[in-house]
Amino acid sequence: MNILVLIKQVPDPEALVEIAASGKDLNIEPKFVINLFDEFALEEALRIREKHGGNVKAISLGGTKAIEALRTAIAMGADEAMLIEDESFAGSDGYNTALALSRAVQKETFDIILCGRQAIDADRGEVPQMVAQFLGLPHVGVVVKLDVDDGKAVVESVLEGTKEVIEVTLPAIFTAQKGLNEPRVPLITGVMKAMKVQIPKVPVEDLGLTKEMGGPDGSKTRIERYLPRKKRPAVQFIEGEPRQAAAEIVRILADVERVI
Amino acid sequence: MDKVLVFVETKGDEPRKASMEVLCEAARLAESGRFSMEAVCLGAVSDVLKNRLLSCTHKLVRLTDPELAAYSPEGYAHAVAGHARQIGAGMIMAGATGVGRDFLPRTAVILETGIVSDVTAANWFDDPITFVRPMFGGKVFAEVACPASPVVVTVRPNSFAMDMPEGINGEYVEVAVGLQAGSIHTRLLRVDDTRKDAVDITEADLIVAGGRGLKAAENFKVIEDLAVVIGATVGATRSVVDAKWRDQADQIGKSGKTVSPKLYIGAGISGAIHHIMGMDSSKVIVAVNRDPNAIIFNYANYGIVGDLFEVLPAMTEEFKRHKERV
Repeated sequence: MNILVLIKQVPDPEALVEIAASGKDLNIEPKFVINLFDEFALEEALRIREKHGGNVKAISLGGTKAIEALRTAIAMGADEAMLIEDESFAGSDGYNTALALSRAVQKETFDIILCGRQAIDADRGEVPQMVAQFLGLPHVGVVVKLDVDDGKAVVESVLEGTKEVIEVTLPAIFTAQKGLNEPRVPLITGVMKAMKVQIPKVPVEDLGLTKEMGGPDGSKTRIERYLPRKKRPAVQFIEGEPRQAAAEIVRILADVERVI
Repeated sequence: MDKVLVFVETKGDEPRKASMEVLCEAARLAESGRFSMEAVCLGAVSDVLKNRLLSCTHKLVRLTDPELAAYSPEGYAHAVAGHARQIGAGMIMAGATGVGRDFLPRTAVILETGIVSDVTAANWFDDPITFVRPMFGGKVFAEVACPASPVVVTVRPNSFAMDMPEGINGEYVEVAVGLQAGSIHTRLLRVDDTRKDAVDITEADLIVAGGRGLKAAENFKVIEDLAVVIGATVGATRSVVDAKWRDQADQIGKSGKTVSPKLYIGAGISGAIHHIMGMDSSKVIVAVNRDPNAIIFNYANYGIVGDLFEVLPAMTEEFKRHKERV
């Protein structure tokens, strides 16, 4: 069983994110991690390999720094890793990201591709499905259980909250949701290995793409500017004994806010 | 004039609420003369459902194919893309539901165009049109333009007002898609429908959520009692889901669901950033916590400092009394 895992390096969930004075860029505190949902994808790949044998390869699209995420993948137990190194494609839209990843994947032999269901920075949740369409492969989204057997997989998906059991022929793409598994913590031997391993870096030109295609003019969608989150007015505390406070908040919700 | 194609999701005789919101927005746009509109649906359409939809759209097309009997990302993506191409749609718009967000990225690739996912607002009269969407769990918002055409857009539930248009009586058409046999590689084996009747939390108007402060799974009864009286959906924080007090489907936050109800009441919730990211776009937030310094109060409109086991039952009683009065 050959398994590819598409991972993204993202800012730490606690990292400060501020809008630059121009409004066109973000200043992000430089603390990075593997995207939360990609860890579930990676863990599942390792478990499938443990059960069925095979090879796990982690692939990422990113700048030079994204190599760290791939080293973490190796430390967790991936056999190999590869970085598509391109700053402009890494900062591009879902379409271009999926295009570059699908070109890289086309050169691989695989039965399964695993991805996280969404990256927690751009929050788009588009790329795995787009990679599937570029490759003409089926996908099952938001997966919490994955059983592989004999050219097909039986999967539990919670797209709409209810659990659906779906059968799919391989090769196929799956997007991992929380609940799929508990990602392992890398062992020290894995970390040692990851520090030494040579991770190949592939320029987008090797995938038949040009840097310009990843730039703002080559993208299908484009961020015009960033806007701050709407600040709520300061909290208004409702005083009094529980019964008084309850009566007052019900009055406010019904008569002032009119949400009840 | 640009044509907007609205993908309508249905469930029995009911359209999904998120779809209705998008349909109402499209009808408003059509009225303004900026766009013309058409709706498309893929499931079975009863007369009740048909009449309801035809009062909101100038045209409703049902795409039929034996392969479309159950949802599949491949089948839906090709059917909607094919129809959009056929009518020369300039925009495809749908609710950012699980299904919408699952297959529409594929539709965008088929049409060699871009998608703007989970938007919370649109600047329709800007040139180019821009869509506002949250990033980083709502820490910032991006205004996104799509120079490619047609633009595919999914809209977060509870973003557009559901003001029913008046005086519309649309036409209904069925169109056979003719999907290739063997073009669908997924097959639905069964559905665990124990939660079938529950309102999906992302579409809920009212939410009552509980956290660690509830102290035990069975104490969620105080949350449920309040929720029943006002017709709200119950939500939960990550820690109580991890403790198996509540189902994963109830989880609000970074690794759970993002909600934007009209009213969010949170009790026994400290306000960890993971949770805040999932509920900060709610219209009105009420927090109940014993600790006056709980972080959740920084994100709330109204705060009650007190024991939730006293405050919540009192609120339940007050809401009951209020209901009897009106």
